[in-house]
Amino acid sequence: MAVVEVADEAKVDPSAKQKPKVNKQFRDRNQIMLARLGWRFTTPALVIVGAITIFPVVFSIVLSLSNVNITGNGFQLQGFTFSNYSLLIHSSEWRYSLGFTVFYTFVSVFIEVVLGTAFAVLMERLSKGRGPMMALLLLPWSIITVISAELWQYVYQGTYGVLQYLINSVGFGKPVILGTPTPAIIAMMAADIWKTTPFVSVIVLAGLVMLPSDVFEAASVDGCTPWQSFWKITFPLLRPTLSIAVLFRILQAFGVFDLPFVLTSGGPGTSTTSLAILGYKVMFDNLQFGPGSAVAVSATLLVLIGCLAFLRAFRTQVNGGDL
Amino acid sequence: MRVARVGWRRYLNGVNFGVVVVILFVMLPIYWLVISSLKQPAALGATPPQFFPNPLSLTNYRDAFSTYGFGVYFRNSVVVTIATTILVLFFGSLAGYGLGRLPMRGKSTILITLLIISLFPGIAVVPPLYLLERTVGILNSYQALIIPYTAFNLPFAIWILRNYFQGIPKEMEETGRIDGASPWRIYWSIVMPQALPGLFTAGVFTFTAAWTEFLMALTFNNSNSFRTIPVGIALFGTPFNIPYGTIFAASVVAVIPIGILVFVFRKSVVSGLTSGSVKG
Repeated sequence: MAVVEVADEAKVDPSAKQKPKVNKQFRDRNQIMLARLGWRFTTPALVIVGAITIFPVVFSIVLSLSNVNITGNGFQLQGFTFSNYSLLIHSSEWRYSLGFTVFYTFVSVFIEVVLGTAFAVLMERLSKGRGPMMALLLLPWSIITVISAELWQYVYQGTYGVLQYLINSVGFGKPVILGTPTPAIIAMMAADIWKTTPFVSVIVLAGLVMLPSDVFEAASVDGCTPWQSFWKITFPLLRPTLSIAVLFRILQAFGVFDLPFVLTSGGPGTSTTSLAILGYKVMFDNLQFGPGSAVAVSATLLVLIGCLAFLRAFRTQVNGGDL
Repeated sequence: MRVARVGWRRYLNGVNFGVVVVILFVMLPIYWLVISSLKQPAALGATPPQFFPNPLSLTNYRDAFSTYGFGVYFRNSVVVTIATTILVLFFGSLAGYGLGRLPMRGKSTILITLLIISLFPGIAVVPPLYLLERTVGILNSYQALIIPYTAFNLPFAIWILRNYFQGIPKEMEETGRIDGASPWRIYWSIVMPQALPGLFTAGVFTFTAAWTEFLMALTFNNSNSFRTIPVGIALFGTPFNIPYGTIFAASVVAVIPIGILVFVFRKSVVSGLTSGSVKG
């Protein structure tokens, strides 16, 4: 980290070193004054963020290692214990939720990135109306997840849902979509894919537009097929953008809560119970804050480890980058 | 050489066909949302479903506001979202200016910490915040949401604004300093006007995040008079009688402000998704 910092300081004011020495003392004092000013400007935000985000995370860990008792208008911590975590590891519900969340994250993010890239490549070839198309693609992203969950629930509904009607008229029999585990999981993924594929495609499209066009001209002069030029040129150049899109999506998908909460309530049974839903139910339905915090902490640790590994890979790829 | 297509046929090509597919992909569910909100309550359960509402009816919209008190949820969302956006822009631009412009030590540590904070899933911070707010006694109030929303949207806003401040030329600021303007004056009258596009970007993201947030709103504000739109809509009706028509009418009303915002500021959104994120 220290090395990075030195580079950062140097970048802030490169002119300082080129000034004649007479001014040095004055410059130094000026720099100190400006640094002090910087802290004065930055501290309020850092205090807010620290108090409301870092403190709760630390407190979550404390809760997950304690016997928590909810009292009339407060709570009590009674002693240190590992029992919340051992409860977790021995619970088949936690293991299922973990497996489901990982599966859901990988499958839906994979489909979204593939489909989103396809959309973006298509948009990039559009000569007119790219602006309105961008706005159109941002529409599902800006819709409240609860609303899209209600909408899909209505579409999937067993007696009068339009999808059920279409499936019936094709003659596939009568699967009750949200009432059977596998179709419910697929239905939930489809709802997520609808909402976030356009978002991924906007990120990828913005990345595509920034690529140098001369490489593609050279490739087409050399007789590259579009397919070849995508895999040999576009894809490698686009990798940093794609990494960011994937990171964003993994983070969101791993913490998925709103969609299953409204669409399926984690059901049928526990088949769409993500870690966030499990943690919520344990805490706010059963009022067991110790075990619930353990679920939340386990989810946080997993997502942090995954993201740090991913960021590390990403940073070596773009060679240090901005920081 | 292929023969050039004339008239309307020249629009028949693979790209345009693909674009139509994309438009249908995005718009079909939204079409269904809008027409369902315009059906009569009885027509919502019709089999086969009505693909065009017949007759058109505004009953659902009236019910949403009169029977289900959607106006209260809408007002709560507006208050919470606007307050959050103003606070985030105020504190975020100060910090972004400091971190992007002024020679402070340990900047990269701060920025990386902020980045990691924005990775925490909501469920990890909700239980301790709930216990805290319960103990302090601010559950079911506007500040119960405004405070955590501000804190959780600040890291991303600081990143975006810091990147933006770094790109603004330094000369005017230095002229101001030589002329003896106070630091506050420099920040407010010289730097801020140039940072407007960055403020739009951070503002749109914060607004959208606060407008759509569900988990905290659900746990912290469960009394009817402080529910925000997402919570209100999710809890309309009972598990055995879900009033879809009312839900969709309320949804259309909830989508309009954010839809307009995103349409007007689409360039800011795109620049935030790329510059802000690629650098991070």
